[in-house]
Amino acid sequence: MKVIMSLLFFDMAFWFYFATMLFYFAYWITKKELLGQASTVLAIISTFAIFMMLVFRTKESGHAPFSNLYESMTFFVWVISIAYLIMEFRYKIRVIGAFVMAIVFVAMFATSNLPYRFQDIQPLNPALQSIWFELHVFSAFIGYAGFGIAFGMAIIYLIKARFEERKASHFLIDRFPLSAILDELSYKSVAWGFIFFTLGALILGAVWANKAWGTYWSWDPKETWSLITWFVYAAYLHARVTRGWRGKKAAYVAIFGFLSTIFLYWGVSFVLPGLHAYASQ
Amino acid sequence: MTTSDKNPIHKIIGGKIWGLFGSLKFVLFILFSLAILSVIGTVIQQNQPPQFYVGEYGSKWASLIFSIGLENMYHAWWFSILLIFLVANIIVCTIDRFPPKWKATLETKIDIDAKFIKNIANNHTIVLQDEPQAVKENILNILHKKRYKIKEANTTEGISLYAWKGITGRFGSDVVHVSLLLTLVGAILGSIFGFKDFGAFYEGEVTTIPVVDFQFGADRSWHGIPLPKIERQKRASDIQLRLDKFWIDYYETGQIKQYNSILTLSDSGREVIKGKQIWVNAPLHYHGLTFYQSSYGIAYDRVKQAEFVLKDSKTHKTAVQPFQAAWNIPYDIPGTDYRIKVVSFVSDFGYDPTTKTIFPKSAEHNNPAINVEIYKNGKPVARPWLFYNYADLFAQIPDSDYELVFRGYKGIVYTGLSINRDPGTAIVWIGAALMIIGCCMAFFIFHKRIWMYVRKNRNETEVHLGGMINKNKFTFERELLEIVESIGGIKK
Ligand code: HEM
Repeated sequence: MKVIMSLLFFDMAFWFYFATMLFYFAYWITKKELLGQASTVLAIISTFAIFMMLVFRTKESGHAPFSNLYESMTFFVWVISIAYLIMEFRYKIRVIGAFVMAIVFVAMFATSNLPYRFQDIQPLNPALQSIWFELHVFSAFIGYAGFGIAFGMAIIYLIKARFEERKASHFLIDRFPLSAILDELSYKSVAWGFIFFTLGALILGAVWANKAWGTYWSWDPKETWSLITWFVYAAYLHARVTRGWRGKKAAYVAIFGFLSTIFLYWGVSFVLPGLHAYASQ
Repeated sequence: MTTSDKNPIHKIIGGKIWGLFGSLKFVLFILFSLAILSVIGTVIQQNQPPQFYVGEYGSKWASLIFSIGLENMYHAWWFSILLIFLVANIIVCTIDRFPPKWKATLETKIDIDAKFIKNIANNHTIVLQDEPQAVKENILNILHKKRYKIKEANTTEGISLYAWKGITGRFGSDVVHVSLLLTLVGAILGSIFGFKDFGAFYEGEVTTIPVVDFQFGADRSWHGIPLPKIERQKRASDIQLRLDKFWIDYYETGQIKQYNSILTLSDSGREVIKGKQIWVNAPLHYHGLTFYQSSYGIAYDRVKQAEFVLKDSKTHKTAVQPFQAAWNIPYDIPGTDYRIKVVSFVSDFGYDPTTKTIFPKSAEHNNPAINVEIYKNGKPVARPWLFYNYADLFAQIPDSDYELVFRGYKGIVYTGLSINRDPGTAIVWIGAALMIIGCCMAFFIFHKRIWMYVRKNRNETEVHLGGMINKNKFTFERELLEIVESIGGIKK
């Protein structure tokens, strides 16, 4: 029997991510520096494993590894891991890793449980054979990753801000950075996410549609949902400069935005009909 | 005197409306409204035939859907109004905020004192042994290296310095807003001056491409105010398209890999593009027109050839073996005096009794019917329609023992091309590019300002330093500490 390398690496990555998540949680609870370092190392190994999965998948399928749900989920996991690692190295705030890795592991778990027909390598249909399609997905997924991290951050922000307000204390919560710092980091993630999302989901998507069908905008459900998501994040950006909306309300908008992103990515494929339905056929 | 005496009522209302559109809370309201309404548009399928909505929601809900316009909501008046509100919002906000922002960022106070700095949240005081002049030189050096621009002013007591960088970041949001307007302008231009057409093309056939003409007029008016009117008229252009070839590529698994057409274009009788291959994602451009490979199908109104058989009308046994007759070419049936010619075809037979015409009910091959002319010794004797699905209908050849049975046909594949012109796209792309540039400016260039006041205090030199940034406070706090450290403060 021939070993399918991409599946091998996927399974490896799956367990590595599981371990990574546990280590980050252990670090958060114990605050042992050694555990923290181990978490980071594990995160790097997992990221590398998922990267190898993508490389082999590309080789096996002969096209960029995001043309169906299984491939794109894996790609999302890789992008969000990279984004998180960059953030960890820049801002040296490791406890957030517990939350980000939890999101990542949920994504891995969901991916591994996809029905087999979504995991299968499919030849690309005519419309997907375009560099614009590849750039479109690539960039949109960086956007999703930014939004995902901001989502994690917004949740921690809300918890932390509540404790700060009541001047309450709990050893787990005290280990989080100040809410003002969380707010700033959350904003930064949204900012990166917003740029790549605007570029990828809206602009490059429009360029691709224009090349393939001669219309850059046709209000199909996927397009409309990216616009909805975009409006929500535009609202987030403006909420942050609006008196009375800063802080908590903005954080809720960021959470709401990621729910919209998830629906854009999964819900539209499974629930609504349209051009982009990966799940159809 | 109250304000209402000074200000007529329309000014107050106007001011209120202006204030509303200038308010950020209203922006949030509009953005959320647009988001929520768009959700509805993805849940209720758009632009379906009325039966669809009746079937899906029942007639009561369906009529509600139609009266509100939910079946085509992105083009409903209320959706457009929300978009217009968004535009008005952006314009009012920019008019309100841009001039003061411009002034505040460009004309900053330079000659300040220690008290001014003490009022900045992020401030430090450094005490040094060097002379003020030397300290100042050192500070200038450090800040120049960090790419700050610096202005200085000498006051009676000391030297005040103002250093700044990243002003462009302040205007990123304006670039984004303008880019959004530009994109919308492009989209509107496209919807007015663009057109989109679809056609089925057959190999070897030459088709004149229709384009759309515009006429501007003002023949309607509203209370005496002429309303601009744009009339769109399709007309034949001088551009002619010939399909040289159409084919489909397959993967080994049998799935479709690609649709391809080879096109030749001539303009005013001159061949301008010869044998250019297009496929999905690779259209052909010519003078603002674009030709897209968009679909394919089997012709609904013609066939390549048809297969018939002659039977004995009494015994229903085959009298003449099956034979093929090509489209529109007379065919002599072997061993008989008869000749037939295939003259028309419909893939889905329909008959309109009022006009007595035959028409294709759809492009599907649900009920293929073929029209043949039958001649005996060169004289026409009959012109029946024969049905593939109902072989014995009208099959009898008059005054003979023969039945003509329509047994099959070879269809002609056509390529479906979308042809469009959209003069707005260039503007849309420029808007999109500006939007990304504007976002980068707004998100990654920070307006940093540092005020410093250097003065002699007995035999020491005192440096007061305070910094402000428009966002990203914590990163800036660190940077400011670094600066303080390199000037010589915070030594422990
Ligand atoms: C979908 C529409 C809109 C988009 C995509 C958009 C985008 C943006 C972006 C990217 C920023 C920069 C945010 C930041 O630096 O964190 C911004 C800031 C801002 N926007 Fe909008 N905007 C939109 C609509 C509006 C409208 C309608 C108004 C009118 C009230 C408005 C008023 C502002 C203001 C006042 C700022 C802050 C200005 C500044 O700090 O320089 N925006 N907008």
